[in-house]
Amino acid sequence: MRAPRRTRLIGAAALILAAITAAFVSVAIGGDDDDDPPASEADAAAAPALAEPPDPAFEIPPPVELGGSTHESTWAPVKRAATARSAPRLRSGAVGRLAPRTPEGTTNIVLVLDRAKDADGSLWLRVRLPVLPNNTTGWVPRSALGGYGIVRTQLVVDLGDRRATLFRNGKVVFQAVAGVGTARFPTPRGRFYVRNKLTRYRDPFYGPVAFGTSARSATLTDWPAGGFVSIHGTNRPDLLPGAVSHGCIRLPNEAIVRLARLLPIGTPLTIKA
Amino acid sequence: MTFRDIPDLALADLDRDGAIREAVDRLERSSRSGFLSAAAGGMAAAMALGRPTPAAAALTRGDSAILNYALTLEYLQDAFYTEAERKGALAGPAARLTRVVGAVERAHVKALREVLGRKAVKRPFFDFRGVTEDPPSFVRTAVAFEDLGTAAYKGQAHRIESREVLAAAVGIHSVEARHAAWIRYIAGSAPAAEAFDEGTTKAETLRLVRATGFVVARPRTTVAKTPSFTG
Amino acid sequence: MAGIPGLRPVDDPASRDRFLMRAFVAGGTLLAGGALVAGLPRLAASAQSPARDAEIFNFALLLEQLQAAFYGEAAERAELDAELLGFAKVVAEHEREHVAYLQTALGSAAREEPRTDFGDATTDPEAFAAAAITLEDLAVAAYNGQAANLTKDGLRAAATVVSVHARHAAWIRSIVGMPPASQPVDQPLSQAEVAARLEESGFLQEA
Repeated sequence: MRAPRRTRLIGAAALILAAITAAFVSVAIGGDDDDDPPASEADAAAAPALAEPPDPAFEIPPPVELGGSTHESTWAPVKRAATARSAPRLRSGAVGRLAPRTPEGTTNIVLVLDRAKDADGSLWLRVRLPVLPNNTTGWVPRSALGGYGIVRTQLVVDLGDRRATLFRNGKVVFQAVAGVGTARFPTPRGRFYVRNKLTRYRDPFYGPVAFGTSARSATLTDWPAGGFVSIHGTNRPDLLPGAVSHGCIRLPNEAIVRLARLLPIGTPLTIKA
Repeated sequence: MTFRDIPDLALADLDRDGAIREAVDRLERSSRSGFLSAAAGGMAAAMALGRPTPAAAALTRGDSAILNYALTLEYLQDAFYTEAERKGALAGPAARLTRVVGAVERAHVKALREVLGRKAVKRPFFDFRGVTEDPPSFVRTAVAFEDLGTAAYKGQAHRIESREVLAAAVGIHSVEARHAAWIRYIAGSAPAAEAFDEGTTKAETLRLVRATGFVVARPRTTVAKTPSFTG
Repeated sequence: MAGIPGLRPVDDPASRDRFLMRAFVAGGTLLAGGALVAGLPRLAASAQSPARDAEIFNFALLLEQLQAAFYGEAAERAELDAELLGFAKVVAEHEREHVAYLQTALGSAAREEPRTDFGDATTDPEAFAAAAITLEDLAVAAYNGQAANLTKDGLRAAATVVSVHARHAAWIRSIVGMPPASQPVDQPLSQAEVAARLEESGFLQEA
């Protein structure tokens, strides 16, 4: 954009003044060097000496390779309601419905297990579903899910030993005694995942914090809000370890507080006999 | 020499379906995506925890804002390449680039987080909507990201106050340009289309990033509520 | 105004709408005369000024002229295979534009064309690739090395050029199957280091 006329005239005057000044400076210092061409092009490159670059304010570390993915699991939020199917194509049987929110009002999530393209080239994902029967997986369109989250943790609950163990990158980082379901209201076995965290409530029965999982009681099917199995604290630590609950996994309160600092949502949960 | 006639890629081209517009609207309304306004405003509204480093203490407000803006874009590139590598849907040259360039972008993130210390903006949540799992979409998006990263650094260079910060930034800027040429070569597009590369302003860059809908609010998986689980 | 030899007014339409002109001319002293002025007192390391910008860009101009000559000769001799030749032609044009741009901005202060000798580097594919990589990487390192010494306007101009050299560098590496970019950061070089590498290359002729 051209500057306004007045500015250009002032600019032009400044140029004239600058050029005259420069000419004086050159003459004053001595014009010898103007007469001789540089002895070599390399000399020309070297003179006059320009300042060195300053040290950079920070260094960049070497490139960071991705570690192995052995202990990694992927989860994704449910963006819109979707039917999970037995195969990665529209014309296959439904195995469950996915809702975008949980009964607790949090964003529903699923564990992502596999990927496939259908005949049209659309992406489908096989996911672990929070439905009955337990351990159900199904295929949903990629577009039904949001961005991937990665965890490197794994939670294992051993019903026989009545113990909960958290692994991170394959190493034990947490362990505690647990209360599990009675024979009448057993804790379901198999593969699940942690899908939400409930906090800031006052109900000593559940202790200070509760984690909802994708596992559901197969016996308490009439339980409001789906009868989901959760991991929570307790006001009866004297009962632990033991088969004492309606299916939930109870930990001593100090343990659940410790676990809460270590357990990311989306962590896969294995419940062993 | 002829190149496949791929039109100049702008991130706005990535608006593939109406869902993106919806996501952008939601993004702009969401207070949880203060990440982008933090980057735009220059001060970390959602700050990472960490020790203050001597380097962070020495940064001017202006330079912190610029480095946080750079970190924003590096987070985006890091997440994009990291997810693509993990998903394993790419092969050949694109897969190789993903590994190598991803490793470099992760190093850039590490460096910027370290120099900013507690002032660093938090890592946002991304939804790449299958782009990292579809080779042609991946390549187009990578071209757009690298061109944009280069233009973004270029647009800020003259605004950096510290000579030492500038010395570091120019060394990253030229690396991003190498990446841009590399992915363009893979795409069959002109690695260096013009004799002069133009910069983008921060506003324009962030507008383009927003338009992709890749930056989303972190899913709300924690709630203050009394459990009604089976117990 | 028109009578001052070698001086283009800031708003001359023949000049690019660019920061370079502002960098050199805005209120500062201009270098007079033809060749590099060795006689002026050395400016302090931290002193950014239009005069210092001109020195830096004259230094950069040498690299651009070298590259323009290199790629131009390769294109002319046309002995390289199709892909390398295509690369040489496109890049030759870019470097010619860089040369023209800097010459315009520097006016009569612009340095002379260097005398060059590329040997078989403009006809033998391996030598060509090696030379191109050397020259492009050198340009990147040189511009990066001087970035902090430039005025803001000078830096804006330099930034539009340095990334193009970086693109060229990755491009030629891609063509010959080398990793196009593996380092997380490009290290700057001082003027002395650049001069030393130019000397090593043997591309600059002794007078």
